[in-house]
Order: sequence, then C-alpha cells, then structure tokens
Amino acid sequence: MSDVIETRNLSRRFGKKEAVHDLTIRVPEGRIFAFLGPNGAGKSTTIKLLMNILEPTAGEALVFGRDARQLGPADFQQIGYVAEDQAAPDSMTVQQFMDYVQPMYPTWDPAFCAGLLKQFDLPLDRKLKDLSRGMRMKAVLLSSLAYRPRLLVLDEPFTGLDPLVRDEFIRGILELTAQEHWTVFVSSHDIDEVERLADWVGIINDGRLMECESVESIQGRFRQIQFAVTDDAVLPGNLPPNWLLAEKEGRAVRFVESRYQEGRSEAAVLGVFPSCGEIGAAPMSLREIFLALARVYRFAAKEGRS
Amino acid sequence: MLEFAVHFQSGLPAYEQVVYAVKKALVARVLKPGDMFPSVRKMSQELRINPNTAHKAVAALVAEGLLEVKPGLGTVVSAAPQATRKQRSQILGPEVERLVVEAKQLGLEADEIVEAVRSHWKRLR
Repeated sequence: MSDVIETRNLSRRFGKKEAVHDLTIRVPEGRIFAFLGPNGAGKSTTIKLLMNILEPTAGEALVFGRDARQLGPADFQQIGYVAEDQAAPDSMTVQQFMDYVQPMYPTWDPAFCAGLLKQFDLPLDRKLKDLSRGMRMKAVLLSSLAYRPRLLVLDEPFTGLDPLVRDEFIRGILELTAQEHWTVFVSSHDIDEVERLADWVGIINDGRLMECESVESIQGRFRQIQFAVTDDAVLPGNLPPNWLLAEKEGRAVRFVESRYQEGRSEAAVLGVFPSCGEIGAAPMSLREIFLALARVYRFAAKEGRS
Repeated sequence: MLEFAVHFQSGLPAYEQVVYAVKKALVARVLKPGDMFPSVRKMSQELRINPNTAHKAVAALVAEGLLEVKPGLGTVVSAAPQATRKQRSQILGPEVERLVVEAKQLGLEADEIVEAVRSHWKRLR
C-alpha cells in the first residue's frame, strides 16, 4: 500500500528556533492518524509543510508520493484541509458558501453535501459570521468533505467545540471512510477525542517525534503498575529503563511500565522487590499515557540542561 | 442504532470491548442466529470508532464462529456454536480465575460468589 503522507528527516527552522526537527513519519492510505502534542510542539508547522504553505529547511515532505512543494491546484482538489483558524467568507450565508466552493471541485457530490447539511443541522440562510464557533467549524468541515477528498487534513479541529458538536464532527469525518480512497491526518492536543477515532498516533514534543505507532500497540505496552512493599524497602537507583516515573510513597510503589508483557513484567518486579504484595497492572488511556510521557520528556529536558 | 450498546472504557482495546458487547447481546438473545449483523461502516459511524477497529471486531467474531459472512448478503449471526461443554468452559478460564482472585482478595467465600453469579445469570436471561 502506498503512503499518502510521508516525511523524511523533515526539519523547519524559524530563526534560532527549530520548530520541527528530523521528523520521519509514514501514513499509509486508509488510516486515521492522530498527530498529538502540546501547544507549540510543532504540529501546525508540520501540517503547513505538508500543505505547501511553508518550505522545509531540511528533509522532505511528500503527499501522494510527491514533494509537497510541487503540490498544485489539481492535488488540492483531492485534499480537504481545515486550518486551525480557517478563514471563510464571513459575509456569505451557508448556502452561498457551498455554491461558492462547489465549482472549485470537480468531484463535488451534491447528494453527499445535502446529507451532511442535514446531519450537521446547518441553517442555510444564516451568514457565517453570525454562526457560533461550532456551527461555523461544521460549515467549514462540510465544505472540505463534500468533494470526497482522498486526504483530509485537520489542524486542531476540536478546540472550543461543545461535546455534541464534536460528536457530529467525528461522525462527519467517519462518513468519508465509506468511500474507496481515504486517509485522515488530524492534529490535536485533545487526546480523549481521538482515542477511538484514530488507529495510529504520532506524539510530537518540542519539534521531535517521540512515539509513532498504532493505538492498539501503544495501549498494549503501557501499564500503570502498583504494588505494596515492606516499610524498610527502598527504591533502588538503577531501575530498568522501561520503568517510567517510579515513585514510592509509604508502602506503595508505582511506576509506568512502557514495555508491558503479562507475566514477564510482574516477574521483573519480583526480581527487584522479592517480597512485594499483589502486583496490579492497570491499562492506561491514551491521555494517561500522553501525560506520563510528557512528564518523562520534561525530566529529560531538565537533566539535559543541568 | 445498533442492537448492542458498547460502554467504552478508556485504556482497553476498543475492538475487544466491541467483541464483548456483541457476546453479551448474543447471550441476552438481543441478537439471534440468522440475524443480520451491522456493516463495518454502520458500526464505525454509530460507535464513532475507527473503521479498522470495527473491522477487527467483526473478524474476531467470525474467527470465533459467532458471525458468518454470507457472500452477497453480508454478515449474519451464526447458529449456536457446536463446541463441547469442555471447550466452552475453557474459553472462560481466565475470566473465572480473575473473578476468584478478586473475590479472595475481598475475603468472599465460594458460595457468595456462586450466589452473585446466579443473580447476574437471572438478570441476563
């Protein structure tokens, strides 16, 4: 299967600040890829490099197998891109907006558009500037879905949307997956929203890709481990490197296991604490994993500075 | 709407939770042999899950013999599985073990567990 998006050692510098550093990712067709990271991590810069809005200072960004710097109108007719603060002709009504966008896309599907308008419950006669943020975002998403793009790129689409609108929004994105060729690339700092939507996650921090794997794999290998030890037990200094954020409070020891294997991980705990009590290994949500990793990166950055 | 509800819990693989919800619906006879099973597309949209996840759940249920793919028709609920009693009880091995471990930790006696199991059994009948 060919990759719809690929970056090879992609970097982008703004003055002294390197916003994206040596980023290598691949997104095959038919995947919903969630690009996660805190604000300022380099998510929007990466997307702009992919959408030929910015040029890389090093490395390459490829879309549909071609250098993003060569993407032209014919390519963008197959891409639905919604920027973080997407500009839209605010003085137009929803209907005028759709009539305005439609002729730009040969693959515009009027029946699909009508269905989405109904599903999104959008008032056709209202001006975009008079819509709530959620309504306006739905109109913008609709204008990017109705021509059935092969690639949908969404930059922080969930910010500021109420839960009902977010739910409709996700359903709208999933509508696209019913067609033959589709791929979704969505950036977010709102992890809960993408936990079941995405099948693949890339986590970026400070311009660097920290993790990139399937949601199932990342959830499979992370566990919150907890067990009780005797009063006089101490936390040794050289713990296995896959034990993250280990701490001891009273008789409780807790850490995040980043390479969990049932049986083997418990045996490793017994190797360090032979007389510990029942070992609990709780699955972690994507948010918990993300927060744990963010703390690990912060410690690492501090140690690097000192 | 789907015949089965999934109460997603964060952290657990979504497809396993879907598989479990379907098994529960089968046990409760909300889904019966011969019933049409929703398409991957419908499941994905109704549950707001990735279509690959929905596909994986269906594949797992087919592999377990609980669903059958009828060419040109779609996926249907299989006739009751013909597994032996022993095979069926083996399937539940890990779950029963977990129940026993939890119960012992709570200091419960064997008959108290059996009683709790029985009351759930009645509820789902």
